[in-house]
Amino acid sequence: MNQWDNRSSKALTRRQLLSGVGSAVVVTTAGCLTEDDEVSFPLGVQLEVDTDNSDRLEWTAAIAQMMESTGYFEVDVEEHDFDDFLERVFEDDYPQYGHVPFLSLSGTFNPESYCDSLHGTANRGQCCNLNGLGYDELDELIDRARFGTDVADDPQLRERRYDEVWHELAEFRGSSIITFLTEEYVRRAAVRGFSPYPFSEWTLKYALHSPSEEALTWVDRNAQRPAETDWSDYQEGGTLRYGIGANISSFDPPYSTDTHSVAAQSLIFEGLTTMDAEGNIYPWLAKRYEALDVQDIDRRAYEPYMTTVPTDEKGVLEFGEGGPVQAVAVHPDDDRIDDDEARVLTPEGAADAVDEGVYGMQYRYHLQEGVAFHNGEELTADHVVSTVERYENSDMSSQTFDSVLHVDAVDEYTVDIYAQVPDAEAERELPGFEIHALEQAELGANEIDPLEGEAPIGTGPYEFEEFEDGQYFVATKNDGYWLEENGLDTLEWYDGPDGFPAGPVIDEIDIDIISDDSTRSAALQNGEIDVTFGLVSSTLNEYDSDDGYIVDSVQSGGYQFFQYPVTVEPWDDHRLRKAVNHLVPREQIVDEVLDGWGEPAWTMLPELAHGTGTADYDALESELREKNEFDPDAAVELIKEVIEDRGYDSSVQQ
Amino acid sequence: MSLRRFIVRRLLLIVPILFGVSVITFSLVHLTPGDPISRMVAQNPNVAPADEAQLRAQYGLDGPVWEQYLTWIGNVVTGDLGDVYGTNRTVSEVLFLRLPETVALGVFGWLFALGIAIPTGVYAAVRKGTVGDTVSRVVALSGASVPNFWLGLLLILAFVLWAGWWNVQPPREPLYHPSMLWHLILPGITVGTAACASIMRVLRSSMAEELNKEYTTAARAKGLPERQVVYKHVLRNSLSSVVTLVATLTAGIVAGAIVVEVVFAWPGLGQELVEAIHGHEINLVVAITLFTGLFVVLCNLLADIIYAVLDPRIRYE
Repeated sequence: MNQWDNRSSKALTRRQLLSGVGSAVVVTTAGCLTEDDEVSFPLGVQLEVDTDNSDRLEWTAAIAQMMESTGYFEVDVEEHDFDDFLERVFEDDYPQYGHVPFLSLSGTFNPESYCDSLHGTANRGQCCNLNGLGYDELDELIDRARFGTDVADDPQLRERRYDEVWHELAEFRGSSIITFLTEEYVRRAAVRGFSPYPFSEWTLKYALHSPSEEALTWVDRNAQRPAETDWSDYQEGGTLRYGIGANISSFDPPYSTDTHSVAAQSLIFEGLTTMDAEGNIYPWLAKRYEALDVQDIDRRAYEPYMTTVPTDEKGVLEFGEGGPVQAVAVHPDDDRIDDDEARVLTPEGAADAVDEGVYGMQYRYHLQEGVAFHNGEELTADHVVSTVERYENSDMSSQTFDSVLHVDAVDEYTVDIYAQVPDAEAERELPGFEIHALEQAELGANEIDPLEGEAPIGTGPYEFEEFEDGQYFVATKNDGYWLEENGLDTLEWYDGPDGFPAGPVIDEIDIDIISDDSTRSAALQNGEIDVTFGLVSSTLNEYDSDDGYIVDSVQSGGYQFFQYPVTVEPWDDHRLRKAVNHLVPREQIVDEVLDGWGEPAWTMLPELAHGTGTADYDALESELREKNEFDPDAAVELIKEVIEDRGYDSSVQQ
Repeated sequence: MSLRRFIVRRLLLIVPILFGVSVITFSLVHLTPGDPISRMVAQNPNVAPADEAQLRAQYGLDGPVWEQYLTWIGNVVTGDLGDVYGTNRTVSEVLFLRLPETVALGVFGWLFALGIAIPTGVYAAVRKGTVGDTVSRVVALSGASVPNFWLGLLLILAFVLWAGWWNVQPPREPLYHPSMLWHLILPGITVGTAACASIMRVLRSSMAEELNKEYTTAARAKGLPERQVVYKHVLRNSLSSVVTLVATLTAGIVAGAIVVEVVFAWPGLGQELVEAIHGHEINLVVAITLFTGLFVVLCNLLADIIYAVLDPRIRYE
């Protein structure tokens, strides 16, 4: 679910295509600070940003201006094409250049995605520790908050551990989070009861029908305002037309990583569990589940079950004949890139380990009975086991096998999923796959493809109907949907009203692919689509003031940030970093650059992860907000302190 | 040299030209940072560099550029343009699925361009210096200058949102269905405008020149009706200057189609190319570029042939 936030880049213009070639040259010639450069103020700083997001360019300029206005900085803003920029910031030497990269990233419900990606030592030079930051104490704090038997058993302890992380990061200040992004959905008033989900991938799945929050979408073409309606007014039938900004490139779940493909698949496929808009987990195809066992081990415990596999200089495991084998885990003491070989836990070894009682956690899932796939198959434990096997060596394998150790069918309707280590996120991470029909479980990579005659088959409320590549996708209501057949009573956790529908009430979902944002907006105005997202913020205000449309804004887990070159003098002084952080006009950026469509980041933790990421968010914010306030005077004080303590030259007149 | 030998020689020249185009495109695509895998893993903090290398090896994207090129060209010679990354569809399949849509768009663009340019060009030349001539020249200059994505959006605003004559999206019908052809009018106008303006301007000036020549005076002196003088003699002679434009204008229409298809959500090769570049679909980008190159070369050849037919004095040495 993590992804670069480059929503404004979907419409690629020719100008961008061409600029990609030209600016590649810049990478090699851009300035490097040599070691014997004397530090003096005003300090030369290069802020770096990609050109894909015009909003980001604007606030980078705003921050540059604030820095210059203190008199202590001479700021250059260097712009790069998005792909060039990615290539550049992931270079090994990048942290030593002393530049300040501006980017955005999307996190998840997991609080770890707001601290580890940017600050964990293991993420140096990859997503997204771009400044070479890393120290053991911090790594340990982050690790202790998610992994270990203590936090796996005690959610409150976990929340307190994360609070320690946020405090440490605010003190160390390796990066500044500027704003939390929101995703705006614009819909016609005819679409009733629509509740957006933080991640656009899952919006249809959640909004169309979510018993846990009594969220239900229906279509009422004769609807008059007010839009405030209760789900009990719902109407059955009709077609919902949903406009998306890029092609559905795949209908094959283990081979899809992009938002739009996952959104389309979410109508057809289901998983063992489901989530509400706050990230609470509910059993779904599993009628209930429980953690049976937690053991205090790390990955070294699998050593006896590992096989030694040669690796090439890039770290590719060379299994030899018989094709690639999934590396469930690699021995933590081995380096696939630097060493010639690595000890690897294969699925076979993992099964042996589990047989002998070596595992981190054991979760037991009891499946719903009488769940029919669109092809008539009935869901059994075999489906779960063969689904996970299909995820081996797929595009999704690293996301799956960073936590899953092994899956075992206990009986026809019971399946055990084992986690590699004790993990407080296991409940969310382990069942992260879409259950396949046995008919398709043996298919090779990318072979679920309606254009090649293999339409996707799942258990979901909608069935595949028609797909025209690059144009539209139509899904129709599944008449034998298991939840409607069995009734809401089969959801043991459900305690809502009796009359709530057991499935979505809309007959047909039409997903229209219109890549250009302005064209998509025109299609919405012309009544050709009912809902869309990803429109530019200036048009949102117009829709917002028009009675025929409703704009829903929801925090999407995206955050905008920049990172300080902590390994380069004088940026190794945390006071200087704190000073610049006080020069970030967060409120002004939200009001003026984002037209109010965003939230200033007073902490590093967005609303999305409040549930598991802090013991008390209000307390956290009141403690940390002061450190993130716009305060040029405090900034100047800090800079003066640094200059004085370190004896730097300064020609700044105050 | 006879025309036939000339054509054969030009056809043979296509091979080295396409080879050059493929080398350039291939290396440009590789010079720009990133490949399908890097986009995929940049989206995910959980993927370690070694996992990334593993994926790259699985998709055959490891190895140096020249090695990838040799493999690719080896396949192309046997007619295999490769697969689209992330699917099991072949590139040729996608190419031929999208090609008719782009051809239809181009034909509409040309019909519009010629349908408007020839009468107005003739009118402006005959009425040289009048208000009508000035107006048509200003319009033509604007037409040649306006960026087509902007023109497209403007047409959508005027004829879709205000007038309500069309929908933004094409109807879900096969290409030859009347409603599809009706839908092609706005994108056709958008893609044809620049060509229309150029043709009109060239035609106007060359006709103005021809109208002053002695044979025109002679024809008039013979007592031929003015209509016949203009359309049968002057226009025919002026058209040869337009024909030389055809190849460049066609290349312009093909390039314009890339933007116009995106603006009008028209599912042709241009839209496919944009998506392919975005997703670093190397095979698809190179194939579409090659195809476009081939097309432009053939257009040039065709222009030369038509030129010879229109003016029998022209021979190729």
